[in-house]
Amino acid sequence: MARLFSPVANTIARASLVAAVAVPVGAIVMGSVVSRSPANTNVGVAFDQPVPFSHAHHSIELGIDCRYCHTSVTKSSSAGIPSTETCMSCHSQIWTDSPLLEPVRQSWAEGKPIRFASTGEVGWNRVAKVPEFVYFNHSIHIARGIQCNECHGNIQEQHMTAKGKPFFMKWCLDCHRKPEKALYVDEQQPDLTPQEKVFAFYRKIQEGAKLSARELALKKGREYQPTAAELEKGREMVQKMDIKVKTLADCYICHR
Amino acid sequence: MAETLTKPHDEEPLIEGNQTYASLTETVAGVVQRQKDHPKAWFVAFVLGFGLVNVLLLSITYLVYMGIGIWGNNQPVAWSFDIINFVWWIGIGHAGTLISAILLLMRQEWRTSINRFAEAMTIFAVMCAGMYPLLHTGRPWVAYWLLPYPNILAMWPQPRSPLVWDVFAVSTYMTVSILFWYTGLVPDLATLRERVKNRFAKVLAGMGSLGWRGSAKHWMRYEQAYIILAGLSTPLVLSVHTIVSFDFAVSILPGWQATIFPPYFVAGAVYAGFAMVLTFMIPMRRWYRIEHLVTMNHIDWMAKIMLTTGLIVFYGYIVEVFYAWYSANPYEQFMMWNRWHGPYAPAYWLLILCNGVIPQLLWSKKNRRNLKLVFAVSLVVSLGMWLERFIIIPVSLHRDFLPSSWGMYYPTIWDFGMFFGTIGFFVMMMFLFVRFIPMISIFEVRELWSRIRPQRAEVKEVEA
Amino acid sequence: MEETKTQTGLDIEEIRRRLRGERGQRYWRSLEEVAETPEFQQFLEDEFPNRSSLLDLDRRSFLKVMGASLALAGLSGCRFLPKEKIVPYVKAPEEVVPGKPTYYATAMPFAGSSIGLIAKAVMGRPIKLEGNESHPWSLGASDVFSQAAILALYDPDRGTTVKNRGFVATWEEFLAEARKVLPQAKGVRLVVGDVASPTLERQLAEFQAIYPNAKIVRHEPVSRANVREGAKIALGREALPVHDFSKARVVLAVDADFLASMPGSVRYAREFAGTRRVDEENQSLSRLYCVEPAPTPTGILADHRLPIAQADLEGFLQHVAYLAGAASQPGAANLAPESFWNGLAKDLRSAGAQAAVVVGDACTPAAHALAIAIQAKLGSVGSTVRYVAAPAVRSDQRLSALVTDLESGAADAVLFLQANPVYSSGLGERLGKAIGKAKLSACFDLYETETAAACSWYLPAPHFLEDWSDARALDGTVSIVQPLVEPLHDTLSVHSLLPALMNRPSEPLAEVRKTWAVDDKTWRTWLNEGVASVPKAAELPVPATVQAPVGRSRRVDGFEVAIRPDPTVWDGTFANNGWLQELPKPFTKLTWDNAVHLSFSAAESLKVSNGDVVRVTLGERSVEGPAWILPGLAKNTVLLHLGYGRRAGGRVAEGAGFDVYPLTSEDSPWGGVGARVEKTGKRAVLASAQMHFSMEGRDIVRMGTMEEYRRNPSLKPEHAHGEAPRDLTLYSDEEKRREQEGVQQWGMAIDLNLCMGCNACVTACQAENNIPVVGKDQVQRGREMHWIRIDHYYGPRAGDGSGDNPTHVVQPINCMQCENAPCEPVCPVAATVHSHEGLNQMVYNRCVGTRYCSNNCPYKVRRFNYLNYQFAQKNFDRKEDIPLLKLLNNPDVTVRGRGVMEKCTYCVQRINAARIEAKKKGRDIRDGEVVTACQQACPSQAIVFGDVSDPNSRVSQIKRNQRNYALLGELNTRPRTTYLARVTNPNPEIEA
Repeated sequence: MARLFSPVANTIARASLVAAVAVPVGAIVMGSVVSRSPANTNVGVAFDQPVPFSHAHHSIELGIDCRYCHTSVTKSSSAGIPSTETCMSCHSQIWTDSPLLEPVRQSWAEGKPIRFASTGEVGWNRVAKVPEFVYFNHSIHIARGIQCNECHGNIQEQHMTAKGKPFFMKWCLDCHRKPEKALYVDEQQPDLTPQEKVFAFYRKIQEGAKLSARELALKKGREYQPTAAELEKGREMVQKMDIKVKTLADCYICHR
Repeated sequence: MAETLTKPHDEEPLIEGNQTYASLTETVAGVVQRQKDHPKAWFVAFVLGFGLVNVLLLSITYLVYMGIGIWGNNQPVAWSFDIINFVWWIGIGHAGTLISAILLLMRQEWRTSINRFAEAMTIFAVMCAGMYPLLHTGRPWVAYWLLPYPNILAMWPQPRSPLVWDVFAVSTYMTVSILFWYTGLVPDLATLRERVKNRFAKVLAGMGSLGWRGSAKHWMRYEQAYIILAGLSTPLVLSVHTIVSFDFAVSILPGWQATIFPPYFVAGAVYAGFAMVLTFMIPMRRWYRIEHLVTMNHIDWMAKIMLTTGLIVFYGYIVEVFYAWYSANPYEQFMMWNRWHGPYAPAYWLLILCNGVIPQLLWSKKNRRNLKLVFAVSLVVSLGMWLERFIIIPVSLHRDFLPSSWGMYYPTIWDFGMFFGTIGFFVMMMFLFVRFIPMISIFEVRELWSRIRPQRAEVKEVEA
Repeated sequence: MEETKTQTGLDIEEIRRRLRGERGQRYWRSLEEVAETPEFQQFLEDEFPNRSSLLDLDRRSFLKVMGASLALAGLSGCRFLPKEKIVPYVKAPEEVVPGKPTYYATAMPFAGSSIGLIAKAVMGRPIKLEGNESHPWSLGASDVFSQAAILALYDPDRGTTVKNRGFVATWEEFLAEARKVLPQAKGVRLVVGDVASPTLERQLAEFQAIYPNAKIVRHEPVSRANVREGAKIALGREALPVHDFSKARVVLAVDADFLASMPGSVRYAREFAGTRRVDEENQSLSRLYCVEPAPTPTGILADHRLPIAQADLEGFLQHVAYLAGAASQPGAANLAPESFWNGLAKDLRSAGAQAAVVVGDACTPAAHALAIAIQAKLGSVGSTVRYVAAPAVRSDQRLSALVTDLESGAADAVLFLQANPVYSSGLGERLGKAIGKAKLSACFDLYETETAAACSWYLPAPHFLEDWSDARALDGTVSIVQPLVEPLHDTLSVHSLLPALMNRPSEPLAEVRKTWAVDDKTWRTWLNEGVASVPKAAELPVPATVQAPVGRSRRVDGFEVAIRPDPTVWDGTFANNGWLQELPKPFTKLTWDNAVHLSFSAAESLKVSNGDVVRVTLGERSVEGPAWILPGLAKNTVLLHLGYGRRAGGRVAEGAGFDVYPLTSEDSPWGGVGARVEKTGKRAVLASAQMHFSMEGRDIVRMGTMEEYRRNPSLKPEHAHGEAPRDLTLYSDEEKRREQEGVQQWGMAIDLNLCMGCNACVTACQAENNIPVVGKDQVQRGREMHWIRIDHYYGPRAGDGSGDNPTHVVQPINCMQCENAPCEPVCPVAATVHSHEGLNQMVYNRCVGTRYCSNNCPYKVRRFNYLNYQFAQKNFDRKEDIPLLKLLNNPDVTVRGRGVMEKCTYCVQRINAARIEAKKKGRDIRDGEVVTACQQACPSQAIVFGDVSDPNSRVSQIKRNQRNYALLGELNTRPRTTYLARVTNPNPEIEA
């Protein structure tokens, strides 16, 4: 009787045994990698916008306070997107004929929201976004002295705005479980309230003042591992501000 | 009892007729080889099963598209057919594991001609069962959240929930059952490889038999592997249904919260399992002319086991009643009153009839050897075991603590679509199995024959 | 509101242009088209950034998404982020802070009266109405109608454009035609209801001045004519009683549901509740006698309730008057046992000035006159009741006269101003035909009503939140009705319509201000407070002895029909409101239907059971409807509710229930005697939200009389097991204690002594928490979604034991937020877990939908989205996805999609908002800073919420009351919501 399998069959058989394990595992690992990569999170991916607005230019080079445009960041859950009126308050005087600003002028003239000159799509492409079932509140974070950079990365250095952090639940919890990591006092001006400190930091950057290691990391949007001493200080602040840490990770803090 | 069980062939042989190794192999392997001549019954059954599978697919599609609302479930009865069927199928699977594992360890020779068949049933039953927990969730597309894996949400399954235990119990059960079944299959696939003419079939069998050459080494390895797997699956017989019973036992609902549940569920499972084995075996042995391998003796033994487990289950019902009274807990007492007199009382009394009364017929040997009757009883028991879950799940739920939230449950056509659909799937798979895989373990039969033949030879000599 | 345009980039004009004249199918398609425009997308996304994308998986792309969710990085539980747009303002309005609600005071005109409200708007969208604390007739609370009114604003079935004989037209066309016809019309008729707006009254007068041949026809289906009439008989001038129950020690309510449905009930409930609080110190309860043909929420709280046919009420009052010494001859003494009369008379006389006699609007003028006489005699006028001059309601003609005029041609131009007599009167059919004869007939209303169908013109009216107006309350308190949004549809204010017809176009705001000529400063304060500082209605002097006609009982042969407004859809005005349709009615818990209510013994004698269709014949008219047994009805009284059987007026309204108006007539709008009831052999299916009304002897609602309370303040039945001992556990409480230490602990107490089951909390919760409407079919399957429900039980039977007069008890049930929550350990994915503040958190986005939590919840307060209920008004399975309704959603509460479990969260969104504000100020939440929606709406303040870890918080103080008990406490669930046992105060001299 003719031979049913050639000798290579043995190898194939063994190989397939290995594959049976390796392939699913590989797929799983692959998946996790992709989901954590900018392909999914959009971290550092600058979207195209109606007007190539540069945070670097406005906040650092011109030294405009965040709150000039993001008016409600200290008052409300939403930081607020500047109205055309806000843009025009300067750009009716300067760069009045810059072609880049045409959409702004057009919006102002028509009384219609800003739109892409090319496609006519209305509005800005949203960069930093949490899922709809997550209720993030800017004002309380600012009030506690959490720097914008903690979530928005090196925003002051960005010419095209991009998402600074992945906004994973894990990442939120990391801070909500150990708030001391993010709480600090500016040693050079220790008597500022946490909220004042937040905005003082950006003036420092703008004036090119000397920055502490942590502040430098913040400015660059890098991870910063606080020293034991800093953590201790952080814990004191938690005490002082009476932050009920155990409640910070309750579901209802962010989900309703 | 074990003692007598071990030597059934003292009274009657486990393999009847004047057999040779060749004839044994021929009978079993022949079924697979001679694809041309299959009984009409095969086609009828297959077509029936296939039809119902399409009903199943339709039901599932519509379910996923619309939502659980197409079923009759509601508040307060948030679980019904979905979980009833899950528990029912899981239970049916148990006969296979019991036969292959426990009876093996107990050296019950009569298991040899039914274990392959029963194990196949286990696997298909667990497949049917597995569909329900997944599909009964409101959002099946996130059901994978029940699996523990590191994720960006920093969220894990909630280990205190029996539903999570289920995930592990059932998946383990599935895995071990398949391994066990397949291991036993290897030598027979080799046999097929040698016998089948069709080249394609040959290659398939060849791949399946993993290069089995029947060398002494192979046999040694085989025996080791088989015994280890038997050891592994023995605890599963008890653990799986125990954990399934926890789905109810850990709750605070009258009718669910009962310490009797684990043993009572396991017994019920074996009960239902053997019923299903009989339901299939009785016609099969006839259609495929294997009466000499699956003898009246086998039917008799299985009937006995059914009777035994049936009695345990019936005892469970009695204990439930006793504790309802003994607990002096008004909610428990009402629960029992509601089973007896409530809107679903007929289902309860039918249950008692099916699971408690009718099986008593099996006390008599005459009845145990009356195929029609045993077949009928096995069907009745399957129905009874389904009703038991109906009584436990919706009937306990529909009237609980606050009368204001009492309600009624009425199944919809889609509930039945899912139920009969899975039955169809089961039937279809079973008939595919008997057609393409030796439904009896060839080599085990031969091995058994090798042991019971000489004795019979002696007898002959004495006569002579 | 101009913002609507700029802030959202949504051009309302544009939409209106596109929607103009679109109706039915076409309307939907075009609305979809609009919805597809980027502007509209932004409009939605501003507040709903595809809110539904995750939970409410859009069905069409479902398989796709499913594929994705599995394929892509399956294990991350994360999806590729959808591209999303942010649309900024062009010019930011100062008062709007993005993400923060803004509040405006306004008022809701209703049946000739009004209630002051505070409207909450988010980014220009009104999303919630609450009572206005500074308004005397709200005091911060509200009722079902004002809670549900917001839904009507976004109702997609509202009239969107002017129609001429069903064809799309414009206001210009109508006005042109009207200006042509009116001057040479033989007779002009304006049909209006009891108008609450002084401005409108003024304009009507002006209209008549310009068109002398114009007559005003008043048509209010549920009118207070009898009340005014009664006062006229007794005091010689139309007047309305204004009660003050805070001063009352003994109250006699004669068919008067003054706690729930009578004008002013919101305030009355508060006042009455003040006299019913019991604790160690205060043990003096007021006593409430209720005499009524049909059970009412007021009757639930009665200490003595006597079911009496409405034909006998006059005779009953006559006898009361006789016993009180206000009348010389006795009345129908046979109506009650001797001891009852003696007890009642003694109580009334001893209470004197502190006695109150309330008579319902359905009672005859004579009955009202008698009530005045009795109170005058008792000297309670001035203390528990005042009589104020009724607003001068000019009515030149009755409806019947209008019909004849129309038929004869004496009237050839008729304008219906938010009146719908073709449906809501016994003359409907004739009127419908007669209208056809008129040269000009127009119907101005919110919906395209039956009357609109009969008229040649339909004119869409604006919702009160879109329009400037003013409104008078019961005692003449005036509020300014101010709009929150620019009209969504092509509507015109009535205040502009009339001037336009008088050839002097004008703006509603100008018209309203013309009525109240005050300077801007005063005006602003009026707007802010929601109450205008103008003199209230004049109080009438009442002589010590008032001559009242002798009250007589009419003989009831056969059955008596009592016709009442429906507790949820009233006279039909709210018939297209899904919230109200699905709101379980008191007692029967019926939804989506009205029924022929029969007493226990009547049903027995007729061999009728629930759902049997019966024919009720009164005079020569008859109606058919399904029967429903309502224990507590007077033996031979058949109770029928108005408001159903609508033939037009929206898809929700149409086809629900049966029309009762054929049985009404101008002279007897409240039914009559000599009715016949027979079986038709047909059956109908009714959807009731509760099926079992007996407590099965379980310790569920604790209640007892004053004496029993004094003997056993907990009122715990002997047999009851009571709360499980705290040490009944293998694990120490130490851990739990540490968890809670230093954190505010939320809890709730509900005083069953004050709850009469008015349903305000249920509707408030629905509005606050984006709770969907599921439709009759689903309710019938037991899938209603209300987060708080009012359980109704029959208490121990009183009186003859025939089951015709059981004691009724109600119990609001929301999630108890158990400390040992049975739902938590069984959830396989930790979607429901405990917070450190003691809340039982339900995380929708984590929920897989195994429903185990619901099975294990002994209170069955969890609700499951069996299908995709969101955004559907009635038939969710029609897959109607209605963009307009999305605007109604509360952006602070996740919109739940199908397959997700949900439940009461103690309004955690309000807790969080308060916490964040408090933390910014560096402190904890103060007591009273968080008010749950149900608590805020509750007229009698039966619900109290707060921090139970603070011994001084109000809720802690109340929970210290000995009446406080945990429902099903023996299960050791340790619920955070506890109840205060109900104490009744029956007169010991009356043997029940």
